[in-house]
Amino acid sequence: MAELKKGDKVTLTSGGYVTIDKELGRGGQGIVYLVDLNGEKKALKWYLNAPDDKFYKNLEHNIMSGPPSDAFLWPEHLTRKGKGSYGYVMRLRPQNYFEFGNFLLAKKSFRSYTAMLAAAMKICNGFMMLHRCGYSYQDLNDGNFFIDPNTGDVLICDNDNVMPQGEKSGIMGKARYMAPEIVAGGIPDKYSDRFSLSVILFMLFYANHPFEGAKVVACPCMTETFEKKFYGTEAVFIYDQADKSNLPVRGIHQNVIRRWPAFPAKLRETFIQEFSHEKLKNPNTRMIESLWEKLIAGIRDTLVRCPHCGEETFIEDSSKCMDCGKDIDTSRRLKIGSRSVILTKGTKAYIDNDNKADAEVVAHPNDPTKLLLKNLSNSNWTAETPSGKIKVVEPHNMMPVNPGIKITFSNTHKGEFILETNK
Amino acid sequence: MDSLNFSCQGESHIAAGKVCQDYSYSKVYKNGNATAIVCDGHGGKRYFRSDIGAKIAAEVTERKVKTFIDEVGLSLLKNKPFTQHGTISEQITNQDFDKTSDIERAFRQLFGSIIYEWNAEVLAHATHNPISELEKEGLEERWIKEFEANINLEKVYGCTLIVYAYTPEFWLAFQIGDGKCFACDSSGNWSEPIPWDERCFLNKTTSICDSGAIDEFRYCYEGNGQSPIAVILGSDGIDDSFGSEENQANFYVQILKSIAKSGLDATLSEVETTLPQLSKIGSQDDMSIAMIYDSDKVKSTTSKMIKWQIGNVNRAITEESIKIEKANKIQQSLESVEHPTRQNMIDLQYANADEKRAIEARTKLQGRLDALLMELGDYGFTEDNSDLENDKGAKVG
Amino acid sequence: MSLLDEQVSVPRRTMTLFFLIDTSGSMEGNKIGAVNDAVANVLPMLDEISAENPDAEIKVAALEFSSGVNWLYSEPKLASDFVWQDVKAGGLTSLGAACVELSTKLSRSGYMQSASGSFAPAIILLSDGGPTDDYESGLSKLKSNNWFKAAIKIAIAIGDDADKDVLKQFSGNSEAVFTVHNIDALKQIIRVVAVTSSQIGSKSSTAGDTTKQDQVIEEVRDAVENIQGAEAATAVDSSSYDDDWD
Repeated sequence: MAELKKGDKVTLTSGGYVTIDKELGRGGQGIVYLVDLNGEKKALKWYLNAPDDKFYKNLEHNIMSGPPSDAFLWPEHLTRKGKGSYGYVMRLRPQNYFEFGNFLLAKKSFRSYTAMLAAAMKICNGFMMLHRCGYSYQDLNDGNFFIDPNTGDVLICDNDNVMPQGEKSGIMGKARYMAPEIVAGGIPDKYSDRFSLSVILFMLFYANHPFEGAKVVACPCMTETFEKKFYGTEAVFIYDQADKSNLPVRGIHQNVIRRWPAFPAKLRETFIQEFSHEKLKNPNTRMIESLWEKLIAGIRDTLVRCPHCGEETFIEDSSKCMDCGKDIDTSRRLKIGSRSVILTKGTKAYIDNDNKADAEVVAHPNDPTKLLLKNLSNSNWTAETPSGKIKVVEPHNMMPVNPGIKITFSNTHKGEFILETNK
Repeated sequence: MDSLNFSCQGESHIAAGKVCQDYSYSKVYKNGNATAIVCDGHGGKRYFRSDIGAKIAAEVTERKVKTFIDEVGLSLLKNKPFTQHGTISEQITNQDFDKTSDIERAFRQLFGSIIYEWNAEVLAHATHNPISELEKEGLEERWIKEFEANINLEKVYGCTLIVYAYTPEFWLAFQIGDGKCFACDSSGNWSEPIPWDERCFLNKTTSICDSGAIDEFRYCYEGNGQSPIAVILGSDGIDDSFGSEENQANFYVQILKSIAKSGLDATLSEVETTLPQLSKIGSQDDMSIAMIYDSDKVKSTTSKMIKWQIGNVNRAITEESIKIEKANKIQQSLESVEHPTRQNMIDLQYANADEKRAIEARTKLQGRLDALLMELGDYGFTEDNSDLENDKGAKVG
Repeated sequence: MSLLDEQVSVPRRTMTLFFLIDTSGSMEGNKIGAVNDAVANVLPMLDEISAENPDAEIKVAALEFSSGVNWLYSEPKLASDFVWQDVKAGGLTSLGAACVELSTKLSRSGYMQSASGSFAPAIILLSDGGPTDDYESGLSKLKSNNWFKAAIKIAIAIGDDADKDVLKQFSGNSEAVFTVHNIDALKQIIRVVAVTSSQIGSKSSTAGDTTKQDQVIEEVRDAVENIQGAEAATAVDSSSYDDDWD
């Protein structure tokens, strides 16, 4: 094992070298240094104990293939072996991203529900792309995610543990994030990654681990034996419908106690399903990433700005603002397939899943009873009026929210304005 | 290691016919480990069973801490330098967004288990002991209703908690709420090793009954072979009687000197008679102390403690002398004024009063200094200033 | 040897009473005269309360604000020592600046001692008009001060021109604002408020159910009924959203 010092030069397999500036942090596996690569600031992860050749080859392969999506702080260059070890170079993490653990301890909070949902969407998408490339993540935990509290943008780090599915990196993840079958000794795969994804999403929304309730806090120290029990063989969801032995505890699990009833029912129902006894035992029935995306998009469709107080609020059965309690007119909707996007003044609409708002509802300049939809995207919309006229809405332009108008967004999604009157 | 603890009803509680809501505990185990605990049940009608809550908190904590120490303490804390950890809100203020360490997780687990068990025992107590007619007196109707429906039950039993646990290899201390933990090192210097929580202010305190209690614990530990020669936990009734930390540590020095001179039993009976007196002339509140100490080291450090006291008295004397000088300057400048204004007269009046007070105070301090020097002489020492600096926790004095 | 021998000091705790006095031009004449008279006369009463009280000694500080702000003395004085110097009226109403100045002094580096050696201060604000400066930012700074949060805060509105909304915001409670309509009532209310705040503020509280501020308000309300030309604000029950929300 050799630590590096300022001024040390480390040669890359791609030719060239990086120069060590200073240590940025260290963990169990290695040290991360700030380095200079041809005048550009980068990060070098340097292993304290060089993992085996297979690991090296895997890194080499992943670098060749490139990142599955821009959510990943992916290895960019591999160093040659030397000084008793090796490492890889990646982008630097910007300052405005904070470790997920800070959100769990409420040291950092999302600026808005929009940001929270954006983070959830980005994580789902990252995992979908990862699996699409044939990888599995293996060592998923709260230390791998860095989130911008203002925008909800996510960076997934420690991608050296990403392996082709069916292979094992040899680096054991943390039991808290592993699927029960992996805690019991199985090999991680996309199914176990999906379990980890549901855990991460639950924690993102409720700032509590789905299995950490009364049972887990009863013992004063978490030993390996306990971990195997609570996260593996005897895992019980804190809101399991049949088994109430692991409910959240006052004074400890306050985040989830507060948020569970306040957040949309669809979210509750999905997690109750995903963490049910049956699903825990049957990995291949776990929800796939695209369905998570759909769920999150659906919830985002019900998140509106209150026209009275300007705060964000979820609209469910009741159309009262969560914040000021006033009634909100939720009758104006945009139908996109099975989705129903609620349109109120100030609300932004997300047509696809790229976390960029595509449209914004604005007040009519002269008639307060009317709303307009502004095109925030980079491409034209095509609208067809009830009488059959075709109109083009260019970026930054607006159109009236009138029932019966059909719109094609950026040549992909088709929608129609409707008046929902039964609520 | 030896231990001592004592709680007494506060003067104002005696007057109001209220029980003592403090609870203290201390124990030295056969394996050489030791634990001290002080819990202070909240005053106020809302918290009408806080005395029971305090006792439950101490008992639960003793068990949980013992398990924690026996099972993971050594592997977790061995060789670790002295480290302090503030509450979550303190960490936010300090922009501490580091990765959560294993030690942090472990302490959080310990605190969680204490809250959990306390909740459970409080619920059991409430279930077995329905609210009595006597208890209902003076309570708001909604509190009675809530109690009977098991809602916000923990408020009724709310209390604070301070803990010190010693083992030969490491020690740890933690706290939620007010009251203070003082530690004396082998140089005779005092510190408060547990970080303070700014939310505990005047009569406000954090509490084990708070909805976010787990985030309000603060703690410290050390595993590199060093440990205080004595740690004394006190409820806020003690703090409020002394005003300043130095004054309070000075009182604790008196206790340690008594232990060195007269032993544990005699000191305990001194403490038993002193604390009620202190409550009377001081805060009027319930009083508790719990302490763990190494009696050999306390004996060998006595002279240094006296020197610490002498240093403080000397400093106080200097401060009074400065006040006298300042007053004298004003007197001189005003006595020569021929036609003093009303403002001049008032200033002179103040200067005279200040001078008089400072002289009185200095005379009293001189008496103290003489007594301390005599005491030091009994140990065969003379005063010198070779005391070591102490950098653990907030320094006292 | 006793543990409480001559080596140990058990000092009395301190309760500081702050007068914040509007000395703007509109106070000129008999209003300011009444204030000077009332405060000078109440000081000996405070000294008496202090002397008879084993829990705490009472110190007094006074800040006058008009176009600028000015402390009568550079430190709080014992009630027995405090020599009242008549304040004069003239200029604007810099309440914002007064808030900032008070906030600076409500600290251990200012006028306060350690929290465990102190009781929460009592703060009495007297005004007959509305602020002429940016009082909002000054008040919001003051409202974040822990001593201020814990303090007994009572405001006295002199006449109908006083901006009661501002006084409400200052005291954090509409019931803590008392209005007077004549000079005699003004004198009486100053005495009642100063005496009551000092009595309640300098006692160790065991009740804990009602705040000291509420206790003061209740007693002053009772007294106000017998003062002609003085009125208390009407009460609104807000207990369901005031209690247990910290």
